Amino acid sequence: MAPMTCKNFLNGLPLRTEGTSSRDAEAHIRNCPSCRNITEDLNAIHSAARSWGGEELEPPAHLWTSLRSQLEREGLIRDERDPQLEPSNSGWFGRWFAGLPRPALAGGYLVLLIAVAFGFSRPVNRQVNEARWLEGTQVSTSPLSAQLTAEQDSFASFNNSNPVVTASLNKNLAIVDNYIALCEKSVQEEPQNEVARDYLYEAYQQKADLLAQMTERGENNR
Amino acid sequence: MSASHFVRERLVCNSSWKAAGLLVPGLLICGIASAATPQPRRQEQHFKVQTHPVVTLHNPNGTITVKAWTKAEVMVISNRASDDVEVDAEQMGNRVDVSTHATSDNVAPEDMRADYQINVPEDAELQIHNDSGEVNVANVLGDMNVETVAAAVDLEDSAGYVTIKTVGGSFQCTRCAGKLEVSSISGNLRLTDIHSYHVHAQTSTGNILFSGEFLPNGLYRLKNYSGVIEVRFSPADSFDLSATSLKGKVINEATLTPKAHQQHFYNRFGNSLIGTFNAGRAKVELTSFDGTINILKRD
Repeated sequence: MAPMTCKNFLNGLPLRTEGTSSRDAEAHIRNCPSCRNITEDLNAIHSAARSWGGEELEPPAHLWTSLRSQLEREGLIRDERDPQLEPSNSGWFGRWFAGLPRPALAGGYLVLLIAVAFGFSRPVNRQVNEARWLEGTQVSTSPLSAQLTAEQDSFASFNNSNPVVTASLNKNLAIVDNYIALCEKSVQEEPQNEVARDYLYEAYQQKADLLAQMTERGENNR
Repeated sequence: MSASHFVRERLVCNSSWKAAGLLVPGLLICGIASAATPQPRRQEQHFKVQTHPVVTLHNPNGTITVKAWTKAEVMVISNRASDDVEVDAEQMGNRVDVSTHATSDNVAPEDMRADYQINVPEDAELQIHNDSGEVNVANVLGDMNVETVAAAVDLEDSAGYVTIKTVGGSFQCTRCAGKLEVSSISGNLRLTDIHSYHVHAQTSTGNILFSGEFLPNGLYRLKNYSGVIEVRFSPADSFDLSATSLKGKVINEATLTPKAHQQHFYNRFGNSLIGTFNAGRAKVELTSFDGTINILKRD
């Protein structure tokens, strides 16, 4: 039997998201990085959406009213409010629902589904992206931060023979440390902000330069 | 001991030599005086050089003044603060290396200092390290690299590729051309009457002032973390402007034409201004984290 193609895999993707997956599909994603990435992205979105699951999405009442009046205006449904024509045990919604032509019902449902999916996907995607950006920034800066802290601790009492130089280096090290703290806060708040990330990287670079100068002058002084 | 004092001592010795009765004791006194006389603290040295000489100077503390002259030689006048430091100046081919270093392990901070006055041909290349004090350079058209910790740097009428790096020292540049790259952590940067096609100035907490011409195809990139960035333009200038302050303000007096493809990213985060002034021949990028950016008309 021929191996599954990407096209076939993608056609079967809706079933997969509902929990149904074939052996061929599993074999395909093991061998196809592109489809594997798509699957992983969908799983991440699915997980993030679940974490939002506490809030059941309830369409607002006025949505039904406006949908109903729109369908009435277009003649797709009729206002059947004569109680003699209706079974006595159904409410207005049941009567209205029964009066809807099936294609209109399906179309309305589809529109609603797309709107809900679109509304949900934006914040979920954003949340996932921000988490990724933040993680990426932390991965690249954490080792550097640890290394610089260790280096800084190794000469806690830097003292050059020139008091002006000592004061300037210590003062500027404090400035850079403060600068790093503020940039980190900004990156936490807006992980996708490229400018804030650039400032953070530059602050680390400045600290590394400064510590190198202090080390050099400390050694020259011995 | 000053040079004039030294000369007076020699004259005293000569007159005592003529007095026959005091010949022997006089010679003894002179011999003792000569042996005890330290090297004068002021030194003047001359080095003949070819075109494009290189002059390097390493000094811990002091005032350094470098000026261009028309002679094909480098003159180094040094003045040591104490006898605990000495000045070395030597020539290696077309390079003159000057440095100050301690003669003992226990030198008082105020004694670890030398001031320099150096004259160089105008096409000389300079490499200067001076931790504190000040550095003044005028009319040198060759490339130069200046690094300081707390020393202020003042440059006039340069034309080469200039790189300046300070930790807390300020930088001032007047009538500079060529290529200019300056970085500091807390120093203020003041660039006036600039005629440079490439300016890259960056400080963290200092202010930046740029007042000069924006040359066609020039690139002008000014960046700080806090403080004020001020750019002064004339009505004849022509530049593409991108000014962004993430947390601060952007104040603009230039009438800009919006760009066809706005970089919406900058609008998403912070206060941003992107547009073209006249034909947009130069490129001007101003970036601050939480400082104010002023784009003002030049008087």
